Formats: sequence, C-alpha cells, structure tokens
Amino acid sequence: MNALELDYASRHFFHVYAQFLDQEQFNEWIGLFDPHQCTYEVLSKENKDLGLPLPIMGCSTLGMIQDRVAMLAKGVLTYRRSALLRQVSNVQASFGQDGHVLAKANLVVYQSNEEGVSSLYMVARYEATLERMESRLLIRKMQVIVESFGIDTMLAVPL
Amino acid sequence: MSKVPNPSQISLDWPKTDFSRVPYEVFTDPHIYALENERIFRADVWNYLAHEVELPNAGDFVTNWIGSTQVVVTRDKDQSITAFENSCAHRGAQLVTQVRGHMVKVACPYHLWTYSLKGDLIGVPMANGVNGKGGMPQGFDKAQHGLSTLQVQCHGGLIFGSFSKNPPDLLEFLGPHSLSQIDRLLVQRQPKVLGYLRQRIPGNWKLYNENVRDPYHGSLLHQFQVSFGLQQPTMKGGIKLDGDLKNTWNHSILSDADKDHQKWVEKAYEGTGKYNPNMKMADPALTQVPLDLADGYKTTILSIFPTLIIAQVDNTYAIRHLRPKGPNLVELHITYLGFESDTPKQTQDKLLAANLIGPSGYISLEDGEALRLVQEGIQSRAPGTHEVLEMGGVGAIQDTDYLSQEISIRGFWSHYHKIMGF
Repeated sequence: MNALELDYASRHFFHVYAQFLDQEQFNEWIGLFDPHQCTYEVLSKENKDLGLPLPIMGCSTLGMIQDRVAMLAKGVLTYRRSALLRQVSNVQASFGQDGHVLAKANLVVYQSNEEGVSSLYMVARYEATLERMESRLLIRKMQVIVESFGIDTMLAVPL
Repeated sequence: MSKVPNPSQISLDWPKTDFSRVPYEVFTDPHIYALENERIFRADVWNYLAHEVELPNAGDFVTNWIGSTQVVVTRDKDQSITAFENSCAHRGAQLVTQVRGHMVKVACPYHLWTYSLKGDLIGVPMANGVNGKGGMPQGFDKAQHGLSTLQVQCHGGLIFGSFSKNPPDLLEFLGPHSLSQIDRLLVQRQPKVLGYLRQRIPGNWKLYNENVRDPYHGSLLHQFQVSFGLQQPTMKGGIKLDGDLKNTWNHSILSDADKDHQKWVEKAYEGTGKYNPNMKMADPALTQVPLDLADGYKTTILSIFPTLIIAQVDNTYAIRHLRPKGPNLVELHITYLGFESDTPKQTQDKLLAANLIGPSGYISLEDGEALRLVQEGIQSRAPGTHEVLEMGGVGAIQDTDYLSQEISIRGFWSHYHKIMGF
C-alpha cells in the first residue's frame, strides 16, 4: 500500500465507520474491530491533557464493545433518542514502525430531535491504530478524544 | 441574572407541611433561582470547593462554582487554603481562566493589578503616576482592596467555603452520618484523582438533589443493574437523615437472599418490557469487580446540602458536585477517585467499573435523561401545580429501613423551604 492508497483507505474507513454508527448498524460497526485484539475508549480532553486515565467510556475487549451497543439495541438503557449525524474531516494516516496504520481525524456530531430541531452535540478527535487485513483496515485501538467534554445530557451511543 | 426579589413577592402554593407536594415553579422560575443565590449559595451554608489532593503544592489552584459565582481556591506557602471570587477588585475582570494550574501570585490581565495567593492586593501598576502625573490618589489603601474572599474550612480532605461572615459550625452542618461516611470513604484510605467527568444536564439543580435522595427510581430507571444482578428492588437498605433533614445517607446491601427473589422481580416488572433476565453480557468483567470494603454496602449515596454528593456505587468512588447554570441547566462535575494504597489491579478495576457512572455510565446516564424529561415536562405546567411525593409514606420525615421511598426528598424540601424563607 503506497501513500496514496493509504490515504484513500483511511478516508474510506472513517466514512464507513461513521455511516454504520449514524444508521445504527451496530453489528457492522463491531465488524470494524479486530476480533482478536481491540480496545475502544472515549476520553475527555481534560483527562488526556492532565495525564489522568479515566475514560468516559472504556472497553478493553471486543465483548465490552459488543455490550455497549447491545444495551442500546435490547432497550436496556433509557436514553435520548436523537438522530445523530457524524461529520469526519482532516483524515491523516501514516504507517507505524510495526506496520500498523496510525490514523487521526476530526469529528463533529449533530443531533436532531423528534421536532426536527438540530444542534451541535459533540466535537472530538479520533486517534486510531488500524491493522491491515487483506484489503480492509481493522481497529486495534480506537481512542475518541472529546473536546466538548461537558457532555450534553449523556453519551449513550458510541462516537 | 434576574434581580433578587423579596420572598414575599414570590407567590408559591406549597400546600402540605410534610412537603409531599412541591410547586413546579421552584424548578423553572428565574426569580427563585436569583433568590437561591442570595439565600443559599451566598448565605449560611458550606459549599464544596475541592479535595485537598488537588492542591498538593504551594501555588496550586483550582476553580469551582458556587451557584452562579466562580471561585478560585489556592494553596499558599504556609499550606493554608484560600478561596476568593474570580473577579478583580479593580474593575471586576475575571482573573483566572484556567480550570486549574499553578501560580505564584494572581495577576489581572486587564490592568495587571496583582494579588497574593491569599487574595491581598500587592501591586497596582503606575500607582504613583507617570512623569509625576496621574496615579492613585493619596490615601489609596491597598489593604482595603483585596479580593472578595470566602471563609474556608476543611474536613476529611474536603475543602468547603462559605460567603457567610458567621457560617455554621462545619461539623454540625455536616452531621453525624456525613462525618462517618466521609471517614469511611475518604479518610481511611488516602484518595487520588483518577479523572474528571462532566455532564451539562438541561434540568434544574434541585432535580438532581431529588434524584440522589430517591432510591425508589434506582431499580426502575436503571435496568442494567437489575438485569445483571448489581441491584434488586428487594435488597436491604434505607435512608438516614441528619437533624435538620437536609443531608441524607442512602445505602443498600445485596445479599444471597436477593437471588431467591427473582420470581418476585419478574412479576413486578411484568409487561414493562424493561426487564431482561435472560440477557447475557458478552464480557461481564464489569459486573464482577469485587468491592474494596468489607462492609458489604453495594451503594452508598451521601447527599450534603446544597450541592455535594459523595457516592460509592459498586466499587466506584466519586465526589459529585452540582454547578447550577440558571434554572434550566446544571453541570454535574464528577471527581473520580482511586486510592494511594490501590494495587495496579485495583486501579484497573476502578477504571473498568467507571463504565457504571458518569455521562456514559450504565447506571447513571439515564439520570441525565430523566432530569431532561422532567424539565421539559414541567416548563408549561400551570402555576399552582405540584409534584407528588408520597412513596414510602407521608407525614413524618424520618429514617427508613426500606428503599422504595421518597421521604428523604421531602427532607430536602423541608430545609430548602425554611432557608429560602417561603
């Protein structure tokens, strides 16, 4: 994979990632993670800057990631049912020393309520370690660093 | 902020002396919110400011909010702690814009008036004028122009501040249950901060005070903990109130007997569509984190008037602080704690268990939504309509040995009503 192919692949990866979440295709979103080794973490910029380890949402196994979305799909949680649209920009990717892809991107999420009123819900950054698996990129580590860490009401659906 | 009205100018219909009715206007009226800042936050109460571990060194500072007022908390070279309003004595500019940090003195960005860490004015640029002209008038006394400081007292590592010139005795204000729980949660082991969480909940700050004094909702709103055996409505527990009813300690204990109550629980939730006894977690590690403390309490919520909650939920330990942002919005600020004596495994367990609390917490994210729904629902309620607080009994406001109750909420309102002068 050359630099141009990497650029295309990483942009495509984030577009698919955001689309799966926007459309609540949670099983397909789970499929973007490396089933053998993966982590998913939503972390506030405040804690990140202070070097504090506490995540807002922390999953250290694929099972924990599956549980996060299963609780939504099975109706265990009562949460604000907004339509969420993610906009990913400034995708940057490079090869790490071990051959993994290191990818970064910006994220804004808009929410729209049942009355058709929209507002900005979240500003964040992705920092991901991706593994090349044949023609696909799979997530080894996904860290979502939330700039708007004064969370509007709650964060139920993964970013 | 609205002009502070005289309480007699606020027409409130508060019909029951046992506070089983609460007028909805207390959650929405901007005049009442303005009065709260005067009668509660700037009056004879102790407000939570910070934990001492956040200020380990001389020159360290943190900011916080008391009602609508931002304050700066500093530690000086003599280890004393000072709190002052974040507003210059000269022209009122905000002094500190960082949330926390380190400084040797406080300098206003506008005209560079400088203050000691105790809030004393120590420097006025060009005080003697320039080229023999201008300057401050003779007789200008820097000692008269220090920052607006608060009374500060500490207990159990918690730093409290009061705007009152004659605040109540701190230990009496906290009361016996608070003192024993602070000792249990924050003193017998040295805390350390693992991180912060923040939620901006579109609801009145008193709705959260109701929420933490309301064990009735715990097993109903938070289905995760019922579905996966963390809590049961049948479990042992209760509430204890302090003498003036403002502070509450809720507690629950899960026992083997609760497993035998499964049939009862299934029947209680029949038809709600919210009970998932057959659902399995793909990775249940989160629900298997052992409790640190041997006393067996599954949940203990200590609610200290007006805005402090010290919570142990499963094996999580957190200081929750309410920062009102007007009548319709509150920031819930959470300081999440581990302990210096924790092993690496215990720290990892606490970071895992953190998935239970905060804005994404499996048994707390719903509280933000519940408050939003209530605030939405009451915006257009007619004056003279009330919420109903009768679960657990009406009349006397007293300790209980059961959880399905709203009595401790009535205790909160009893004290609120008294100090607001309604």
